[in-house]
Amino acid sequence: MPTPVTLTIEDVQGDANILLKIIKIAGQLDESNVDEEAKKVYELIEQNPSKLNLILDLEELEYMNSKSIGYLTDWYGKVYENGGKVIIAKAKPNILDILEVVGLTQLIKNFPTVEEAKAGLSQ
Amino acid sequence: MNSEHKKEKNTEKPIEITISLPTQAYFVAGVRDFTLSLIKNTTDFSEQWAYRFQSVVDELCNNAIEFGSKQGDSIKITFIVIEKESIEIQVEDNGTGANKLKAAEIEKLIKERAGKEFSLHEIRGRGLAKIVLEWTDELTFTDKPEGGIIVKVKKYLTDIKTKELKQSMSLAGDQTHIVL
Repeated sequence: MPTPVTLTIEDVQGDANILLKIIKIAGQLDESNVDEEAKKVYELIEQNPSKLNLILDLEELEYMNSKSIGYLTDWYGKVYENGGKVIIAKAKPNILDILEVVGLTQLIKNFPTVEEAKAGLSQ
Repeated sequence: MNSEHKKEKNTEKPIEITISLPTQAYFVAGVRDFTLSLIKNTTDFSEQWAYRFQSVVDELCNNAIEFGSKQGDSIKITFIVIEKESIEIQVEDNGTGANKLKAAEIEKLIKERAGKEFSLHEIRGRGLAKIVLEWTDELTFTDKPEGGIIVKVKKYLTDIKTKELKQSMSLAGDQTHIVL
């Protein structure tokens, strides 16, 4: 019985030269559900092996554990290796706090809005 | 209501609560919620620290389930709260898990992991070595004679208050200097 969480992937139409997907995560990512949810992101990365850009919309994410942070760093590594970027948007203070303590905020930027995150992709 | 609550909060006697949990990850979510409420409602720790301790408890419980007690067994979590002084949390497993480790082995692992930068491809290893170690003042592992481990963490409120006070004095000092 997993803790309730939803992970949805949204296509973003716009600049034809930029392949952008927004991943919205709502609820709590923990030991009971993170392995299953992570598979969706790995499938997305496999289907889009080159120059994939990801914005993680974390506005409704209430909790994430160390394993979910591990997956996040792994996604970042895979996307970055293939010329893409990973950016976080709208993370709550407790989420930013845990990302900071493991040093991830040095790698992945957080923006207060999705629009600013989109603009951040070109920085 | 407020005055009664205040009277209760001012007691010097520690609040001690013990929870026994089946070794299923799903049940840890309930302990996280409980941790958040307990710290917010019975201590002087800030909301930020309530969330931090939610993570600390989660990581300790997951560790005990993964390495300490087999499926169908249980783990024990004890909270000892002294309102204006500290919070202590003990997580105890039974040493029945297939991946069980001795206290010394876990301490060695943490020392190895705490000092190094994590590769992007490492999924595991941040829980105890980064989150728990960074957000607690004391972290000890003790082997139980009958098998299993007791992990004990403690955070002192006084250290946080002293740091906050020093920080605010330092800021105030800077402001005065600028004004002058």
